[in-house]
Amino acid sequence: MYIFSNILGVFVFDEEFNVVDEILFKNLEDYNNKDKFIEQIKNKHKNLKEPNNEELKKMIIYFKNNRFFNDFCNKNLQLAKLDIKSSVKDDILLIQAINSIEELDKAINILAKRLREWYELYNPEISKSIENHEKFVEEILDKEKGELLEKLKINPSDSIGADLGQEDLEPIKSLTHQIYDLYQLRKAQISYISTLMDGLCPNIKAVCDAIVGAKLIEHAGSLKRLSEMPASTIQILGAEKALFRHMKTGAKSPKHGIIVNHPLIAKAPANMHGKIARTLADKTSIASKVDYFQGKFIGDKLRKELEEKFVK
Amino acid sequence: MISKSKIFEVYESGGRRRQLYTINLATGRNVYGERLVLQNDVEYREWDAFKSKLAATILKGSPTIGVRKGDVVLYLGSASGTTVSHVSDIVGNEGFIFAVDIAPRVMRDLIFLCYNRKNIAPILADANKINQLIERISAVDVVYQDVAQKNQLEIFLKNVDLFLKNGGYALLALKARSIDVTKNPKQIFKEVRERLEKVLTIIDYRELEPFQKDHAMFVCKKR
Repeated sequence: MYIFSNILGVFVFDEEFNVVDEILFKNLEDYNNKDKFIEQIKNKHKNLKEPNNEELKKMIIYFKNNRFFNDFCNKNLQLAKLDIKSSVKDDILLIQAINSIEELDKAINILAKRLREWYELYNPEISKSIENHEKFVEEILDKEKGELLEKLKINPSDSIGADLGQEDLEPIKSLTHQIYDLYQLRKAQISYISTLMDGLCPNIKAVCDAIVGAKLIEHAGSLKRLSEMPASTIQILGAEKALFRHMKTGAKSPKHGIIVNHPLIAKAPANMHGKIARTLADKTSIASKVDYFQGKFIGDKLRKELEEKFVK
Repeated sequence: MISKSKIFEVYESGGRRRQLYTINLATGRNVYGERLVLQNDVEYREWDAFKSKLAATILKGSPTIGVRKGDVVLYLGSASGTTVSHVSDIVGNEGFIFAVDIAPRVMRDLIFLCYNRKNIAPILADANKINQLIERISAVDVVYQDVAQKNQLEIFLKNVDLFLKNGGYALLALKARSIDVTKNPKQIFKEVRERLEKVLTIIDYRELEPFQKDHAMFVCKKR
């Protein structure tokens, strides 16, 4: 006699694979406490065997019957619902937040370029004097044209901008306010990511900084998958196109992917990029493993080792 | 004009471009933005061959897809349920589908599909771990697999061996690029074919160009 349990209940099969005894689960709770029912059956019948693969095949044919399908559907649906509910973890929230920041960057860039084109009709000197979009938006947010020109020591009558009336300036002003708000939103989301990473992966945050670390996790899919990757894979995450071109056609292999945005690499001379990327990927790999298995905080030590090696 | 095609429960309309249809089981609802066509009080759902590898197989001229009315199907790699919804139309209310996927994101969409169609059971599980799967499904008439994994052939053979009844159909949608990007897809198809032939009888083999790049469909039968 064989014992077999699944989502529907606990069953006892005889040597011809007919069901002799069964306990059907009424709901999912019974399925979660199935050990209790298995024990009950085992006390009732003696000499129960666990089936092997060949025997299992013959048993599951019993369940291929219309009367079970409704139960299969309901219980599997409930289980899947619970699984989905519990699948939302911190790293999934982190991935959404970093994707949102990336898209905000794109939107801000497009809008800021339009704002400059528009504003330059009115006051081109200021726009040309400030390169940074964020500073430019903050500067023109509340100040009048005359005030700004005075700062640059330009006589308002020398300006080549057109004299626009109040009703023509109003749409420019409201666009400026919207872009300023987007910058504030971006800042809020970065601080959210930063606090999220303090709990989830403090070591990665210490080694790579919040944004680069979050992008690595986003690209890997989850913290678990990042921690399973070798350092050489982490080094070229985000450079897949170049890597596969290298593998297919024998072009030059990429030196770095996402981690090129790390300040250590970005500020270094070009001939050092490959070397730093390699070491940085090593340290990131160690940090991600420590984070996933929730070890001690060693991020500051790793970061110090890196900086001693490359910052002179 | 929609008329019966050579495949059971699948309909087609002629013209320059052949278009496939299935009879809508959940009347009035579409799943992925496809068109609903009403003819003689029967509602048909368009089946887009560029989104579904099974439809592509039919349009490439396959004589059979193995799925018939009333069948119990194990569908591995269901994703958000594009093809699953059409298989659900084909098997009808007498049939049943176990739709397995590992990703919570696409399972979310599939669950909303299951509210409207009572013949699908969504299962959030790894197709590779059959000892977890066996608790949640029964034996089946057809196994359909579409997972983009490196070991997709091993997963397929494992599941076919355990769950498929003798003489049942097994369909494998093979993505050559996820086995090895550097190899020529034709070479991979050949290797897979040789390995499949050892355990199964291959009835039909189609490459899915131009609908899907570097994909092939194997229609097999268990001995």
